[in-house]
Amino acid sequence: MEILKVNDLKKTYTSRLGGAQVQALKGVTFTVEAGEYVAIMGESGSGKTTLLNILAALDQPTGGCVELEGKRLDAVKENELAAFRRENLGFVFQEFNLLDTFTLKDNILLPLVLGGKSVSEMQTRLMQTAGPLGIAEILNKYPYEVSGGQKQRAAAARALITNPKLILADEPTGALDSRSSAELLRVFSQMNRNGQTILMVTHSADAASHAGRVLFIRDGVVFHQLYRGDSTNEELYKKIADTLTMLRTGR
Amino acid sequence: MKKGLYTRIALENVKKNGRLYWPRILAEAGLLGCFYILITLAMDGRLSEALGGAYLPTFMWMGAAVLGLLSLILLLYVNSFLMKRRRSEYGLYNVLGMEKRHIAKVLFAESLIASLASVALGLCFGVLFYKLSSLLICRLLRSEIVAGFYYLNAVTLLIPAAAFLALDLFTYFVNRIAILRMKPVELLSAKKAGEREPKTRWPLLVLGVLSLGAGYGIALTVKSPLQAIFLFFAAVILVIVGTYCVFVTGTTFVLQSLKKRKQYYYHKKHMPAVAGLLFRMKQNAVGLASIAILATGVLVMISTTVSLYSGVQDTMETNYPRQLYLSAYRQEGEEITHIPSGKLEELVREAAAENGVAVREVESERLLTVSYLLRGGRLLTKTEAEGGYDTSELCSVMFITEDTYAELQSKRVTAEDPALSRAPEGLGLDKDEIAFCRVASAAMDLGFMPERLTFHGNTYRVKENLTYFPIGSNMSTVVNVLGIVVADDDVLNDVYLAQKEAYGEFASEFSDRIGVSFADEEAVSAVGEQVSQAIVNKLQAVGTGTLQYDLDTKWESLHNVLEMYGTFLFLGILLGFVCLFSTILIIYYKQISEGYEDRERFQIMEKVGMDAREVRKTIGSQLVLQFFLPLATAAVHTAVAFPILLKLLKILMLTNTSLFIICTLVTLAVFALVYTAVYVLTAKTYYKIVH
Repeated sequence: MEILKVNDLKKTYTSRLGGAQVQALKGVTFTVEAGEYVAIMGESGSGKTTLLNILAALDQPTGGCVELEGKRLDAVKENELAAFRRENLGFVFQEFNLLDTFTLKDNILLPLVLGGKSVSEMQTRLMQTAGPLGIAEILNKYPYEVSGGQKQRAAAARALITNPKLILADEPTGALDSRSSAELLRVFSQMNRNGQTILMVTHSADAASHAGRVLFIRDGVVFHQLYRGDSTNEELYKKIADTLTMLRTGR
Repeated sequence: MKKGLYTRIALENVKKNGRLYWPRILAEAGLLGCFYILITLAMDGRLSEALGGAYLPTFMWMGAAVLGLLSLILLLYVNSFLMKRRRSEYGLYNVLGMEKRHIAKVLFAESLIASLASVALGLCFGVLFYKLSSLLICRLLRSEIVAGFYYLNAVTLLIPAAAFLALDLFTYFVNRIAILRMKPVELLSAKKAGEREPKTRWPLLVLGVLSLGAGYGIALTVKSPLQAIFLFFAAVILVIVGTYCVFVTGTTFVLQSLKKRKQYYYHKKHMPAVAGLLFRMKQNAVGLASIAILATGVLVMISTTVSLYSGVQDTMETNYPRQLYLSAYRQEGEEITHIPSGKLEELVREAAAENGVAVREVESERLLTVSYLLRGGRLLTKTEAEGGYDTSELCSVMFITEDTYAELQSKRVTAEDPALSRAPEGLGLDKDEIAFCRVASAAMDLGFMPERLTFHGNTYRVKENLTYFPIGSNMSTVVNVLGIVVADDDVLNDVYLAQKEAYGEFASEFSDRIGVSFADEEAVSAVGEQVSQAIVNKLQAVGTGTLQYDLDTKWESLHNVLEMYGTFLFLGILLGFVCLFSTILIIYYKQISEGYEDRERFQIMEKVGMDAREVRKTIGSQLVLQFFLPLATAAVHTAVAFPILLKLLKILMLTNTSLFIICTLVTLAVFALVYTAVYVLTAKTYYKIVH
């Protein structure tokens, strides 16, 4: 079943001075099946972030449309957007975006609190989510008291706790050391095996090699895509590296 | 590096950070302007000459000292906000290759630009508003307006300029030391330094509660005006300390307990606000406490001075039932010869006639006023009191004879209501009997009606409890005043001799005093000075020896009181204005700095799925709490201070409680209005920064 459908997505920015037009997305089309783990790769300026912002309903496209489980994002009313995001999407950011005034526990619970869930339900869901991520022991700590890897796992728990249809991850390993990165990617694979659909934007070939499918974006269009098929992570990594070389040399 | 570079960078920085610098420059200019006005008022010879007063310069110097101290605190506080915001910028310069001494040069140039701008602007303010201020003073003191009030004097320009430049230099050194000490990485990231969750600091909370309790206790239980003078300052200090401690720890305590209540805390309306406030309070409790205290200062200063000033007429009526009181004697060696009241009356009538005013009525009284301690049914001289005394026991006792009483009483009856005119029944006192009257019990709850009263070793039976005593006293607002009527001159003389023995050179003398009412009060006030002068001249011609006289007139007293209260009011308005101004400034900087800190937080919340309306609501509830807390505290402080303020006002002869209540309420209302307006405006800036 298609969970996400992106159809001929275009985004044109007008620079504030001079009015020069910049086309960030020139017609991106792809779909994501339920339970898929998709990585999107591209250089800086390729349009990855713009794409992600539109998928997250934080930004509006100038052309084309996005459908989440058949519902067009531009049909969601302005004042329902926040709730829509909260209920359907989970976010993992490069900079964690944990609130320094909250404990990890409160950070994880925040989407449920905003959704008006009962305290007992919060408790059950918290245990279900935090346990597998290995952060049950440090829930009462504050973000500045734990490591980057732990912060990112807490952020992942916050994204998971609402049982979202789709998790959008923006360079989740970008601020982590290699060991924490590996750990987080294992967590992501684990989440995916449990049926969670994940869309991850990255420019780390290593991170992308954990995904089931890799999309390459260049100059605002989907330039190429790789399927894992039966390959191992290492084999996929090699294919990604080759593609990147090809992208760079232009042949 | 080129020389002009630092100045250019500095100029650019000040311009770029206008949102931070302008309010500081304006604030300093405002403070300096007020400082200039106070100092110039104190030093402008023409003014004190025109007003003929000695109070004015003294009070203005005192006001300037208070203002100077306030400026120091306020500008340092503002500076700390400013530096917090700027620190990362300096860090960036360092990373980009500027050495610290270069940064110090930039910092110096920035400080110099801001400082010069403030001083120049401040002096302009001062010079411009000086004329307005002196006009206001003249109006308040009901004095002739002195022409040509543009007063420029190098000294009055230099003192404020030098004082504030020194203050700015001090601030610069504080900043310089802070910056030189920091490492570049710290400079860059100082803003983001990890905050720990505040814990309730119990000892501080206990100290705060005790201190606040003690301060309140004093304010509520103080018994006499004299005690109020001694204890007022202590109470103020205690309340200030208490307010700071309770704000710093009490708010944390309350929020922590809210956080522990899970059903309450895990709600979308509460969680972001409570957690936000918990961290906010740690940094801002001091700011909020300062706002509360400044606000209290505004309320107290303005309400007391306004009610004093507007109660002048009232006060004068109570204290001067007649317009002129005169007593005089001649002294040759040990010999004292009282000038008899008949002679005094003659002099006054002559003087009045010469100036074309008519005397309506003259009363004479032979009065002995002695101070005692009232303890049980005994009047003790201070030498008899064992183990010291309490000021609330002090009382001033007026002795007159039955004859004097009868005479004064008959005049009163005829004067006040001729229809009631009848010969008063004699008291018929025996030598061991007295009539007793509580003229004023300023301090003591004189619930008792003594049957007997002992003084100087003799016990007298109280034959009559009088409800009215025919002689007023200008001590009546400060200490207890009792009136005692004794049988005859012999008894009065015994008392005189006994107290003479007890008090020695501090003993009281008889006063043969006349009180004069004039037919037309306004007419006599107009020629008051001439009348007084004529009386004194005539007195010189009577008898031989050294002349001692006491001429107490309503018009002179009014002039003095007006000058004093007018000066108070002016200071109250000016300092109240400065406090209000400071409050506004603190709120502004608080909002701005919080806005920058909160921006990131709210952006995260929006990403996680809080919609803009909810963010606004959360911000709103945090703001409202921070807004009302200091205002409510100020209102409570003022309410609690009310009894002690009333007692203090009594010393200044204001006894009109309802006037004071009205003044306080009006001040509170106006203040709340201004405060709300300021808050709405700064909240807008805050929203702008956050979004």
